[in-house]
Amino acid sequence: MSTAFRKIDIDALDEDVLLETELYEPDPRDPHTVLDDAKQKTAQVRSSLSRNDIAGALNVILFEPPYGPNVDDAKSLTLNALLLILNSTKATDISGILRNLDIDQQDTLMKYLYKGMGSQGLADVNGSVLLSWHEKLTEIAGIGCIVRVMTDRRTV
Amino acid sequence: MSAPPQVFQLAQVPLSCHSFNASNDRLVVSLSSNDAVIYESQDGEWKPQETLAEHDKTITSIDWGRLTNRIVTCSQDRNAYVWTEVPDPTSPRRLVWKPTLVLLRINRAATYVRWSPKEDKFAVASGDRAIAICSFDSENDWWVSKLLKKPIRSTVLSVDWHPNNVLLAAGSADNKARVLSAYIKDVDKRPTPTVWGDKLPFNTVCGEYGNPTGGWVHSVGFSPSGDVLAFASHDSSITYDIHVRTSSLPFVTLTWTSEEGLIAAGHDCQPTLFKGSAHNGWKIIASLDDASASGSVGRSSVGRLNNEAFNRFKNADSRGATAQSGGDLFTVHQNTITSVRPYTVGADGSVSRVSTSGVDGRLVIWQVSGGVPAVAALTGRIGGMHLR
Repeated sequence: MSTAFRKIDIDALDEDVLLETELYEPDPRDPHTVLDDAKQKTAQVRSSLSRNDIAGALNVILFEPPYGPNVDDAKSLTLNALLLILNSTKATDISGILRNLDIDQQDTLMKYLYKGMGSQGLADVNGSVLLSWHEKLTEIAGIGCIVRVMTDRRTV
Repeated sequence: MSAPPQVFQLAQVPLSCHSFNASNDRLVVSLSSNDAVIYESQDGEWKPQETLAEHDKTITSIDWGRLTNRIVTCSQDRNAYVWTEVPDPTSPRRLVWKPTLVLLRINRAATYVRWSPKEDKFAVASGDRAIAICSFDSENDWWVSKLLKKPIRSTVLSVDWHPNNVLLAAGSADNKARVLSAYIKDVDKRPTPTVWGDKLPFNTVCGEYGNPTGGWVHSVGFSPSGDVLAFASHDSSITYDIHVRTSSLPFVTLTWTSEEGLIAAGHDCQPTLFKGSAHNGWKIIASLDDASASGSVGRSSVGRLNNEAFNRFKNADSRGATAQSGGDLFTVHQNTITSVRPYTVGADGSVSRVSTSGVDGRLVIWQVSGGVPAVAALTGRIGGMHLR
């Protein structure tokens, strides 16, 4: 049987097509504000880390993360700041820190763990660090947390 | 937990849906094929009795009307049939099931069908971004439909009727659950006002709900009073007036058991009881699948990863052992639960038993009442509730 028909872009023939952007609430902030926020948060994260306050740094960076189109710079700034936090945490402290996050923060952190795994080549990406955070987070937040990374259209 | 669940292995193929008759002594299921099979209860076992063959593609949903003893089936062939039990013309003492065609007017698969509470209408959800509301046209002896189209943007995966026979909830692959009016002039009397509104011409949109983490809405359900709507979506959450995210795999089906309780089931292979109210919030109370019932196998919080197949590989890896156990899950259902439905309904509308059908070919009847014991013992399990 011919399978060529599977390649036809049927959405092009449909005037009432459902767009990706209609599946989530757009970020109310404009891209400049988002970028300024991200820069500010990065600075806060660095100062928290210098005081060895991992939990505080995570709280800052996991609050209202940038998502949606046109904020790529803010997204990569946030990812880098987050990777910095992950890399400067002692393995034995991870579980305790994760337990204090609320469910929104856990879901957001899981998004960044997967984003990190998908960003090979970035200087700060350390596979074994990401995997140990992932293991601990799955133990605490469950598989539902991973499922939500897949369903949530507000990609970070 | 009180009585253990009754387990029936009806087939070795997935049961995509099931429905009991009013007296619970007959049952109709779809074995993921073009035919629906009626089973009859004989000495505690279910025996195939009759096959309803008319569809020419896979049957997606079945509902057996408890008041009128009519079965409605719908299928990927874009058709629905209403089956009535009539005397066989050749031997009048025998009863046979006779199909009546429904004019659905949809050009994609029909996905889900449910009789309205009075069983004078039924709703067929479809991949055509529409829901067909069907009522009987006695002049032509067939069922005619009226389509609910707006504002549905994608395949409708499930529907549920409000007890007033007019309002309909619909869950859709565009990540929204909606409450719509399915008022048909010749069938319905003017409904009394509800929390969803008072003026309800056909296709009135009374509400549209989503949740931030998104995901297809697999299942919707009105509470027995019709005042509260709950829906299960693919982000492993149940949404009432609040959004309850769980640590398990997504739920695909749910049914209310009382005004404060509902049971959801799905990819996690076990029915889960939620309780709560608008004031106190909602939370998971227990799995109906009692962990202590069969053996004591070590459970990990990483749920489904910790099944026997996983352990077998782990043992082979760490000890070079080749374990000889089967790849069974530690739940009663061995695969995704496709449908959970009320089985025993009390006079006050509360449900004391529910039935589930699964991809593992099993039909299971679970006790709900008395199913809220030992909450303290269960809370420790919630994190690792996926599996024993």
